[in-house]
Amino acid sequence: MPKVYIDGTSIEVENGTTILEACEKIGVEIPTLCYLKHLNPAGSCRLCLVEVKGSRLLQTACTTPCAEGMEVTTMNQNIYNARKLVLELLLANHDDGCFSCPNNGKCDFARYCMDYDIEKSPFPRNKEFPPVDESGEFFTYDASKCILCRRCVRTCAELQCNNTYTLKGRGHETMVGLPFNQLFKTSNCVSCGNCVSVCPTGALSTKSGKKYRDWEIKKTQTTCPYCGVGCQIELHTKGNKVVGVEPLDGPANNNLLCVKGKFAYEFINHKDRLTKPMMRKGGKGSPLEEVSWDEAMSHIAEKMLAIKAESGPDSLAGFASARVTNEANYIFMKMMRAAVGTNNVDHCARLCHASTVAGLATTLGSGAMTNSISEVVDSDVILVSGSNTTETHPVIGAKMRQALLRGAKLIVAEPREIDLAKQAEIFLQIRPGTNVAFFNGMMNVVIEEDLLDKEYVENRTEGFEELKTLISEYTPEKVAEICNINAEDLRKAARLYAKAEKASIFYSMGVTQHSTGTAGVMCTSNLALLCGKIGKYGCGVNPLRGQNNVQGACDVGCLPGDYTAYQKVVNPDARAKFEKAWGVSLPDKPGLTITETIGAIESGDIRCLYVMGENPMLSDPDINHVEHALKKCEFLVVQDIFLTETAELADVVLPAGSYAETDGTFTNTERRVQLVCKAIEPVGDSREDWDIINELMDRLGYKNNFSSSSDILDELAGTSPSYGGYSFERLKKEQPQWPCPNKDHPGTPVLHIGKFSRGERAIFKPSPYIPAAELPDEEYPFVLTTGRVLYQYHTRTMTGKSEGLTNIMGTSFIEINPTDAGKLGIANSDKVKVASRRGEVTVEAHVTDKVAEGILFMPFHYKDGPANKLTNNVIDPIAKIPEYKVCAARLEKF
Amino acid sequence: MTENISNCCTDRTVLDKIAAVARNWKGRKDMLIEVLLQAQKLADNAITEDVAEVIAKEMSIPLSTVCNAVSFYAMFSTEKRGKYIIRMCKSAPCHVKGAEDVIKAFEKVLGISCGETTSDGLFTLETCECIGVCDRAPAVMINDEVYGPITPEEVINIITNYRQRREEA
Amino acid sequence: MEETRILLKNIGKINPVSSADYVAAGGYKGLKKAISNPEAIVDIMKDSGLRGRGGAGFPVGLKWSFTKGTPSDQKYIICNADEGEPGTNKDRILMSGDPHSLFEGMAIAGVAVGATKGFIYLRAEYPYLLPILNDAIKDAEAAGFIGKNILGSNLDFEIEIRSGAGAYICGDETALMESIEGKRGEPRYKPPFPGVSGLWGKPTIINNVETLCNVPQIIDKGAEWFRSIGTESCPGTKLFTLSGNINNPGVYEFPMGVNMRTLFKEVGGGCPGGKKLFAVQTGGASGAIINAEMLDMPMDIECCAKAGAVLGAGDLMFIDESINIIDVVENLIEFFVEESCGKCTPCREGNTRLLEFVHKFKDGTAREDDLERLIEIGSFMQVSSLCGLGQASPVPVLSAIKNFPDKFIVKSDERGQN
Ligand SMILES: Cc1cc2nc3c(=O)[nH]c(=O)nc-3n(C[C@H](O)[C@H](O)[C@H](O)COP(=O)(O)O)c2cc1C
Ligand code: SF4
Ligand code: FES
Repeated sequence: MPKVYIDGTSIEVENGTTILEACEKIGVEIPTLCYLKHLNPAGSCRLCLVEVKGSRLLQTACTTPCAEGMEVTTMNQNIYNARKLVLELLLANHDDGCFSCPNNGKCDFARYCMDYDIEKSPFPRNKEFPPVDESGEFFTYDASKCILCRRCVRTCAELQCNNTYTLKGRGHETMVGLPFNQLFKTSNCVSCGNCVSVCPTGALSTKSGKKYRDWEIKKTQTTCPYCGVGCQIELHTKGNKVVGVEPLDGPANNNLLCVKGKFAYEFINHKDRLTKPMMRKGGKGSPLEEVSWDEAMSHIAEKMLAIKAESGPDSLAGFASARVTNEANYIFMKMMRAAVGTNNVDHCARLCHASTVAGLATTLGSGAMTNSISEVVDSDVILVSGSNTTETHPVIGAKMRQALLRGAKLIVAEPREIDLAKQAEIFLQIRPGTNVAFFNGMMNVVIEEDLLDKEYVENRTEGFEELKTLISEYTPEKVAEICNINAEDLRKAARLYAKAEKASIFYSMGVTQHSTGTAGVMCTSNLALLCGKIGKYGCGVNPLRGQNNVQGACDVGCLPGDYTAYQKVVNPDARAKFEKAWGVSLPDKPGLTITETIGAIESGDIRCLYVMGENPMLSDPDINHVEHALKKCEFLVVQDIFLTETAELADVVLPAGSYAETDGTFTNTERRVQLVCKAIEPVGDSREDWDIINELMDRLGYKNNFSSSSDILDELAGTSPSYGGYSFERLKKEQPQWPCPNKDHPGTPVLHIGKFSRGERAIFKPSPYIPAAELPDEEYPFVLTTGRVLYQYHTRTMTGKSEGLTNIMGTSFIEINPTDAGKLGIANSDKVKVASRRGEVTVEAHVTDKVAEGILFMPFHYKDGPANKLTNNVIDPIAKIPEYKVCAARLEKF
Repeated sequence: MTENISNCCTDRTVLDKIAAVARNWKGRKDMLIEVLLQAQKLADNAITEDVAEVIAKEMSIPLSTVCNAVSFYAMFSTEKRGKYIIRMCKSAPCHVKGAEDVIKAFEKVLGISCGETTSDGLFTLETCECIGVCDRAPAVMINDEVYGPITPEEVINIITNYRQRREEA
Repeated sequence: MEETRILLKNIGKINPVSSADYVAAGGYKGLKKAISNPEAIVDIMKDSGLRGRGGAGFPVGLKWSFTKGTPSDQKYIICNADEGEPGTNKDRILMSGDPHSLFEGMAIAGVAVGATKGFIYLRAEYPYLLPILNDAIKDAEAAGFIGKNILGSNLDFEIEIRSGAGAYICGDETALMESIEGKRGEPRYKPPFPGVSGLWGKPTIINNVETLCNVPQIIDKGAEWFRSIGTESCPGTKLFTLSGNINNPGVYEFPMGVNMRTLFKEVGGGCPGGKKLFAVQTGGASGAIINAEMLDMPMDIECCAKAGAVLGAGDLMFIDESINIIDVVENLIEFFVEESCGKCTPCREGNTRLLEFVHKFKDGTAREDDLERLIEIGSFMQVSSLCGLGQASPVPVLSAIKNFPDKFIVKSDERGQN
């Protein structure tokens, strides 16, 4: 702990603290341009010069570590002159069109020039610049405004790890640019915009930014509404309009965002937003007409009460939403249970991670990510299977790449050669649907080669003998055959994983969305337990949740068998607790899942369905079947921000406020509860989700005492052990991960340390490999698998409103291997007809090596060419998750 | 997404040779400069975009990393150059010994300006900084050979020699 | 005056590739001694008082002790054979004529600090040295002097050659390491120093060719012997490269402290054509330009510094009366504009501004405040640039202004007008 003197003030600092950091601690401001918190220091702009006693040279505060007894002067004439010269030299070649610059008002460089009394540079301009690159969808690069701090280059290389930028020339000629004559559009740029966020001048600026100035906007700190990473953002609003997004230094994202989080906010103020309640006044078949809230609400209440009276509470069902706040979800499930009296409440987690919840809850006792996102950067080995992380969870993908920069090794077991595969130490291109075999093979090697953590297995697990017996059948050679991989690679992967000190497993829907999804999930924990890699920093089994609040929706009880925090409805104690809290008696048998609900509608057992913020019409498997059911549903209420495909079928449509228009919390994939804050008032006559449900409950005869979301969180905290420590007040300051049982609990970054959630021991649940339900045959010779792309999200209700994203990737496609394409006479960009036993769609072919022969891949987001017309709705017997990832298909040129 | 269309084209067999060199150093970013030096010899004394792409792919490093190096070191060029690269030293020790007159002589004899390539693709004339033979100033390097001290009058002979070499070959 | 040929003793006398020749001339004895007592080496180097010959003159023993004292699974020895300073040719002579002495010096360094891998970073302008060095490495490996298990000691020391590609800045130790790592040769900020965190973040010793070639004989003959040559603060001999307007340009070896006038007159033979000496640039392109009247100067680090000159790597570029000094200064700044890496603001932008002012002096349009501004920017660059290049590049122009004030004429009456 060296002690240093800064302008005479003494301060003791940690070893390795730089002068700049020490100055920050005592409130001494030092100007910086190239410095940025999460980047390696560069010390290149030389603006942060200070004097250190005993040195002939001025030192850069951003790079110089404090040493015992060091005496630092941060300002005198010498320093002032030097800094001023730095700025003058830079200003000479900086375009001075500040008036028209989008960065006007927030330009660090201009501010410093002002601070150092510089109006214009004493030096003439002596550089020429290339034309502005306007080829990208979202931002432009104007080299004549660049001051060569290289924050963009370093952010792209060190944090986003995309390496798009290059430095061109050297010395005075040096310029930031793209390789050779590339433009953004032709480069490998993924439009994440992180470079734009860090640019201290207007050199990199958003296209939309031209329309507003910093001083006109209000800034609201909130949580990104897209994937489960839970990036912290600042919404910029002008009047009641969202005009921009800036990243914040949240615990999960550390100032990074992806293209969706940064740029896809157009949906919020989009003209297609629902702004008025609508009803089919003339009954089914009549058009949706705008009505007053009162009319809509009383109609809904009347219908619901009538159906309940006639057919009992279990003839009603509700779909909650993985996209709305915990508070809205909580009150929604409370409505179904307490006001309606049924456990028929579910949401689309069923379709992505029900198998995770079921599987990990069995083996470990908790169905969530065991470790934290930030730990991945410190992992030694990362095993990714069934997750195209850089596209579906871009910020986690970036962090994995940061880990690789630090020397971590990556194993990828995936049917497609995803981007991460290119950087993998070992890439195993497994056949879709063979995850169980793959993991069993890994374990076989671990056991055969005696790489298991014996002490851990002995002291912390049960069921090893059973596992050993089953696993012994899965020799590398046999598994290689099943998965279509190389046995030696499998051995290498197993050794690499088992021998690493810190090894983490990341998976997503590639593991869960199978008829053997739960088995697949349990296999991941089997492997991790076998190697002693659960309950340790930098290790763990980490399911990546797809939607912003899918974790939260599960946590707060939007599951047919669970109240909040996974308290079971079949458990009399739990039921008694909620009956007491809510003052009603509650049903004791679990309700229907989403997939079962669809069936029950068809059979007439369910007469009323209330859908809040979901679009089962596109997201559910075999949508022909869903459409049929929804059309048949006697009374369908949809509460959403857009007139989705599902809403179009509704009897009553209620306009809800988007995430920008409400207060509440989201729980991200690492179990971190974070605040959502109202940035603008609900557009038109729309209302916040919780507020709508609150009134409806009232009309259904159940009175809540809620006057804000905050009240709801307080009730939720009171009934849910793992959420006990949360309140709006606390979350403003810190965002602990659950379990967080009380106000003083710091939260739990790593689960299962010392003891498992399930008890003393975790359990091995070995599973045999069972092939997918539908395999290719003569008629349908291909395996079709589905997934997501970086530039779209879910069923595109939000991303579809972004012009930029639509331009980049606006239409559906199917990936096919060149050899297969050759045989079928299909060229890149040809239109093709894809058919399965359930339907047929026409899409564009992308001929690519990414998929192996015999495999087809389609994104599921698109209404034109919807992949889920083709997918198979067979379900996993335990988790009831549909087999989206494998079905047999046929394809021909259109 | 957008496929990259190379705006330059290097002979397929040359690209294959370069790929073979680069492949030996997969993941070895530290060998990039060696690979670039060898590649340049194989491909018209230049690292054009297609060459860089092959190297990036085979070495598993980003194209921007290749470009970073190519644009930094004086010996790399992104434009195709002649078979013989004439590097005339213009650093101070050669400068005070009259390097400028020698450069002019080269320009005259070759009929090109500094930085240009003769139309037969044989010579590219460049200036460079000290080549470490100041005891022979003014000095010039033509590919790997050093000449010095040279007078403006000797330039024509040197060039003639290379032209003959080419004819013999 | 006779040369004192210690480093150059084998040059032209032995087959440079052959380790047998080198051994016959007394070579590889130092390495044997080092292997028999690795612990003692760093202290011997400290006692010898050897200082780096690459330009900065840092004490070698002290540098080695940092690396020795930093525990690590891997350490490196780098030989800086970039020799980019205009007017420096000495390392080329050593490598072409006696490469084994370099290998021996590197291996001793490796044994002393526990490094098993050495790199020679060879500038691309010396392609013709590659075959000699490669063959000599093969020969030394075959003879067991370097490679695995050297001289049966169970110690390894491998040497690999890495090539530059035309960048003066890569002579800077940290830029050189970046270059070996395959990146742009841009210097790193310090600390951390290479001795603790160098190549790939590992403790690394980097020394100049001439420095390393001194090592074998010091270990063989002892620190006392070495101290008996040269001056108190700078023991040993030094290789001097004479260039410019001089009758006998070339590389010569003399004890430290030899008089500059001796080098000019007796060794260099004076200016050709009987011209009068006007100025001397000492220490290469980044060194000071001194007046011919200051010629009586003992050549060691301290004496040069005291007189406002720079010993540097031992370069002396003589400039006769026919040469326009502003023209030389212009050429030198152009060199730095060309060779600045572009990373830091003062050097990247500053050198071009220095050049603009010098142009004004060249065409006679400079004003009083131009001179002041030039000096201000130059002094600013010296204290604020990231690395030695930008810190030293103003030296020629600032020293020229000081030593030849009458050549920097300003139109003082126009001061302040725009
Ligand atoms: C711009 C610049 C260029 C340099 N060029 C060389 C060089 O060509 N050769 C060299 O040995 N040292 C050069 N140096 C000095 C090295 O940074 C370093 O001090 C030296 O290699 C250390 O070795 P030594 O202590 O044995 O001299 C240069 C330094 C700078 C700042
Ligand atoms: S001083 Fe010059 S060479 Fe050194 S880092 Fe700065 S720009 Fe690069
Ligand atoms: S200065 Fe020209 S060769 Fe040295």
